[in-house]
Amino acid sequence: MPRKRNLMRADRLGYVVGGVALIVWALRRPGLLRAGVGGLGGWLLYQAYTGSNPMFKPLGIHVNPQPAQPHIAETLVVEEAVTIARPREEVYAFWQRSENLPLAAEGEVELTREAAGEELAWRTMRAEKLMHFGSLTLRDAPGRRGTIVMARLEYVPAGGSLGAVLARVTGRSPQRLVADCLRRARALLETGEAPTTTGQPAGRR
Amino acid sequence: MVKGDILGHEFMGEVVELGAAVINLKRGERVVVPFPIACGNCFFCQKAMFSLCENSNPNAGMAEKLWGYSPCGIYGYSHLLGGYAGGQAEYVRVPFADVGPLRVPDSLSDEQVLFLSDILPTGYMAAENCDIQPGDTIAVWGCGPVGQFAIASAQLLGADRVIAIDRFPERLRLAAMKLGAETIDYSEDNVLEALKELTGGRGPDACIDAVGMEAHAYHDIAYAYDRMKQAMLLESDRPVALREAIMACRSGGTISVAGVYGGLIDKFPAGALMNRSLTIRTGQTHVQRYMRLLLARIEKGEIDPSFIITHRMKLDEAPAAYRMFRDKQDDCIKVVLTP
Ligand SMILES: NC(=O)c1ccc[n+]([C@@H]2O[C@H](COP(=O)([O-])OP(=O)(O)OC[C@H]3O[C@@H](n4cnc5c(N)ncnc54)[C@H](O)[C@@H]3O)[C@@H](O)[C@H]2O)c1
Ligand SMILES: [Zn+2]
Repeated sequence: MPRKRNLMRADRLGYVVGGVALIVWALRRPGLLRAGVGGLGGWLLYQAYTGSNPMFKPLGIHVNPQPAQPHIAETLVVEEAVTIARPREEVYAFWQRSENLPLAAEGEVELTREAAGEELAWRTMRAEKLMHFGSLTLRDAPGRRGTIVMARLEYVPAGGSLGAVLARVTGRSPQRLVADCLRRARALLETGEAPTTTGQPAGRR
Repeated sequence: MVKGDILGHEFMGEVVELGAAVINLKRGERVVVPFPIACGNCFFCQKAMFSLCENSNPNAGMAEKLWGYSPCGIYGYSHLLGGYAGGQAEYVRVPFADVGPLRVPDSLSDEQVLFLSDILPTGYMAAENCDIQPGDTIAVWGCGPVGQFAIASAQLLGADRVIAIDRFPERLRLAAMKLGAETIDYSEDNVLEALKELTGGRGPDACIDAVGMEAHAYHDIAYAYDRMKQAMLLESDRPVALREAIMACRSGGTISVAGVYGGLIDKFPAGALMNRSLTIRTGQTHVQRYMRLLLARIEKGEIDPSFIITHRMKLDEAPAAYRMFRDKQDDCIKVVLTP
């Protein structure tokens, strides 16, 4: 079965360059190092050839080769969900305020769709530093447990999917920002506050 | 934890300042603060599973990476659980103060009520999770403070016999003399054989692990293996007591885990668990669920938790106190610090 392509186009070029560089470097090294580094280079070339990196799935990296925005060639997709023990109208009203939207801090956004109580979609103004667009879909949770909010965000990563992998590992990824945004919304809507430890006292560090 | 973090998740004190939304407490009142920080409104708080509160851990994303989902925030503990400044200080900030803190009556001393913050409810929940029936024998691994309260609670909840396991004579003595438990010294006896013999060849009806991930063992091949793998960072926890509790438990019985585990373990006896219909119950304690009920038991004189205190020291002496506790010097079981 052919593997699903999941590398970004820019990545493929990078993988070819990186793979060739590693192999060339390895050619002039002693046996074990040559085998190891050369093998790594070969593996990168193979991934560039298949267009697929098997590590992406476990790392949760998901490329969309045909995003709905015509002027964007490729995006990375983030999907997160949260259940909030409040009625749908209240949850919707909270997110109508655009400062509450995921990644609102990353630049100004405009709302592109508003279906009361059901869906909100937005995109960044063109020149923002992180180009992204996304939507929030609301539905009732079963058993009157409140509202399920599904967030979908697409963005153009700085540094391609390698950058995205690094961001995931260091924890500063859009994935985390979206998840934290949903969690903060739940805390605010359910309790009226979002707890923090910012600014708390400490001993000598 | 990082340098400069303020420790302490078992504390009590006097209310000196209140947030605007806290209308159930007054300045000057004496309160005990439960160690799980819980909002009172979320799905889990509404189900009285306070240590699973979804709204109190600002670092939930970190915890999710390691554990799938995040439990509540905790004072003076791992940053995975929020990194909140703890109670070993003159002042402490208590989030959601209208949900957690319990006012205590003047008739009871600090030392009688302090352990409502953590270890008394922890021992009690460990025993409650055993679903004790008349005639039951409960075995408890670890005779530290948590183990002692698990023993006492199993007795309060109707256990016929409690068998306590440890290696420190002063701890075993406390379990035997103060609580009337039978004891096994694992530095001398083979625990599995001893338990089999003591329970007429069937095993204890329920087993409580009050040891956790830093268990110790003698002459145990699996233990040597654990230490080796830990040194190579291939395994994070050392589950000697947990493995033994599973192997020892009677078929169809329950293993109640109060001891804390942080990450991954090896050589987990899944076969014994499955083929012998065993149940495992565990969790950070839902302290808020038990505080009132246990306060009532203390007021009625059914239990006086201060019996585990061996040392009273000043906050300034904390480093020495920690050293003593770690090295189990001077028969240390529990230290209480005051500012
Ligand atoms: N679930 C919770 O919410 C909760 C709350 C408080 C504490 N805890 C945990 O409970 C555990 C016990 O706490 P504590 O304060 O009593 O600690 P402690 O260190 O004072 O006691 C542990 C005891 O276990 C004994 N022990 C070690 N290896 C053993 C073995 N193989 N077999 C039998 N006994 C063994 C030690 O000798 C010691 O006496 C810890 O893991 C602690 O983190 C859990
Ligand atoms: Zn909660």
